[in-house]
Amino acid sequence: MSLKELTHQIFSRERLTAQRLAITLAVLAIVLIAVSVFSIAVGSEHVGFTNVIRVIAAEITGHAADVSAEQRIIIADIRLPRVLMAVVVGAALAVAGSAYQALLRNPLADPGILGISSGAALGAISATIFAESLPISRPVAAFGGAVITIAVVYAVGQGRRESGTVRLILGGVIINALLSSIVIFLVTSVAGARQRNVISWLIGDLSGESRLLLPVAVFVLIGIGAVYVNARSLNLMMIGEQDALTLGVEARRVKIAVYLAASLLTGAAVAVSGAIGFVGLIIPHAVRLVGGSDNRLVVPASALVGGVFLMLADTIARTAVAPRELNIGVITSLIGAPVFVYLLRRTN
Amino acid sequence: MNARRFNTADRESSTRLRRIVSLVLFSLLPATLTISVSSCSSRKNSPATSRTVSDELGRTVQVPAQPQRIVSLAPSITEILFALGVGDRVAGVTSYCDYPPAARQKTPVGDTLKPSVERIVALKADLVIISTASQVEASFRKLEELGIPVYVTNPRTIEGVVESIDKIGELIDARERALELTDELRRRITNVETRVAKASRPSVLVILGTEPLITAGAGSFINDLINRAGARSISAEEVADYPQYSIEAVVARQPEIILLQTGGNELIERLRQTAAARSNRVYHIDDDLLLRPGPRIVDGLEQLAAKFHPELFERDS
Repeated sequence: MSLKELTHQIFSRERLTAQRLAITLAVLAIVLIAVSVFSIAVGSEHVGFTNVIRVIAAEITGHAADVSAEQRIIIADIRLPRVLMAVVVGAALAVAGSAYQALLRNPLADPGILGISSGAALGAISATIFAESLPISRPVAAFGGAVITIAVVYAVGQGRRESGTVRLILGGVIINALLSSIVIFLVTSVAGARQRNVISWLIGDLSGESRLLLPVAVFVLIGIGAVYVNARSLNLMMIGEQDALTLGVEARRVKIAVYLAASLLTGAAVAVSGAIGFVGLIIPHAVRLVGGSDNRLVVPASALVGGVFLMLADTIARTAVAPRELNIGVITSLIGAPVFVYLLRRTN
Repeated sequence: MNARRFNTADRESSTRLRRIVSLVLFSLLPATLTISVSSCSSRKNSPATSRTVSDELGRTVQVPAQPQRIVSLAPSITEILFALGVGDRVAGVTSYCDYPPAARQKTPVGDTLKPSVERIVALKADLVIISTASQVEASFRKLEELGIPVYVTNPRTIEGVVESIDKIGELIDARERALELTDELRRRITNVETRVAKASRPSVLVILGTEPLITAGAGSFINDLINRAGARSISAEEVADYPQYSIEAVVARQPEIILLQTGGNELIERLRQTAAARSNRVYHIDDDLLLRPGPRIVDGLEQLAAKFHPELFERDS
């Protein structure tokens, strides 16, 4: 296949075919792998590109790599888990965004704007303050916070007619403001060292312990899978719930499943990295602008693009002023906003 | 009829799509699994040259008999290490470690909130010392995971700082110098305390931030310093270490002395109705001496006492 055909396949907003989906996802997966290798190769310490390849190959095959012990630790134990965590969190946030946007048929929907991130953050902070010793209390509490928040937002926003999505967004904005205040109250009322723990997590950090990587990756894969199996139903529901119903979609069941899955994704992402904004909003939009709005493409492609995006943002965060680190949320907004404006203007 | 046929075709292609995507997604799962399992296995120090100590949080840490490549993750720790005469064994410091001047020549490993773990590894650190006064948990868990010994200090009072210096002296095999230093510091502390023992205790407001007004609460070092220097803080009952405080409460409590960092003159204008402002007892003081739980905290104590009780300390200056 020539390059021209390839780009034509990807940059097409026409009806989705299995071939176009496969090509697009394959290209994105290759980009993801290339960007991971690049991200692992750069950092405050010089490690060299070939050493990265050697260490990764050694990790996969189980042999010892011919590099110094320090280099092996930096590549395999510090950068690799961090880069993978960025992929997992980026994918989770982007897919959660795409799910909310499809469910609410509103381009503004995003875990941040709907207050779900704040709910998850409140859950995670409460866990940090009140149940610090329990091992995975933070992710579980974050998921709980996200689920309760979406239920409350839904109850507040529920209109008599189907046009309740504006009310839903409005409800989200209000709940978000309320929860953010509670978060600030909790943070300012805890003492000393614990306060710094909470703040450092709140501003977003991917450098944490790698033992959380596996459980979070499992949560996120389940969440993405659950949104994806409902992608076709979401397509039909985007036309209208009544129309979807006549085409045999059980709107209620799909809605509940996708809400739960998106909350799981938001909770998992927030639990490990605090509230990172912009990813859930812009990544699905960018994907739709390039490849059309069929959710069977938007959901998996958002996962991959979200992973690549957050990986790059984190790489900038940890290299720009090395050995100090920047707040990753600042980077996601600084890159995200101009890229989004460019995409919007180009396709207009 | 037509619509139904479309629907079936769509369903078929949908199943195919689903299969492809599931394949891509779940092929990622074993990859993450292998990597997180393999990253758990980290090297251990050989027990022959190391010993086991208990740090100030009661954690057991295995450290080398005489650490040679120490990374300090707090300005106060850096000051302690240099005061103990082992500056040459310090491999890395934070970007806030500016005292003594020689500390600035050391390799920076980032700030206290998010130090660069990979730089600490690259420095081949054989001991990392951190302080609950400036560190967060997450950064030291990662270091532990990598098998680098992490010693945590947790001084809560000025006496705690002196004890901390003793323990660090033992930890890094500089006991004699530590004993000398702590004897000297204890003598100076006792000197201040005996002098102010019988004096009246003026009320003090310490201002750490002006917009909003931030002061020091019960658990902070500054509160302990103010007490020992023969005064009482008007915010001594606050639970938080560094609480936000209302200007009204300040005016109502009429502090006789206000301690301030450089700047903040606008706030003093608003506090002109306090006893301190009227009697011109607003003092600027170097906050590094009050906030860093290192050897210079005794300098801070002496300076405070001299400001609180000038009549008792006049002949010194």
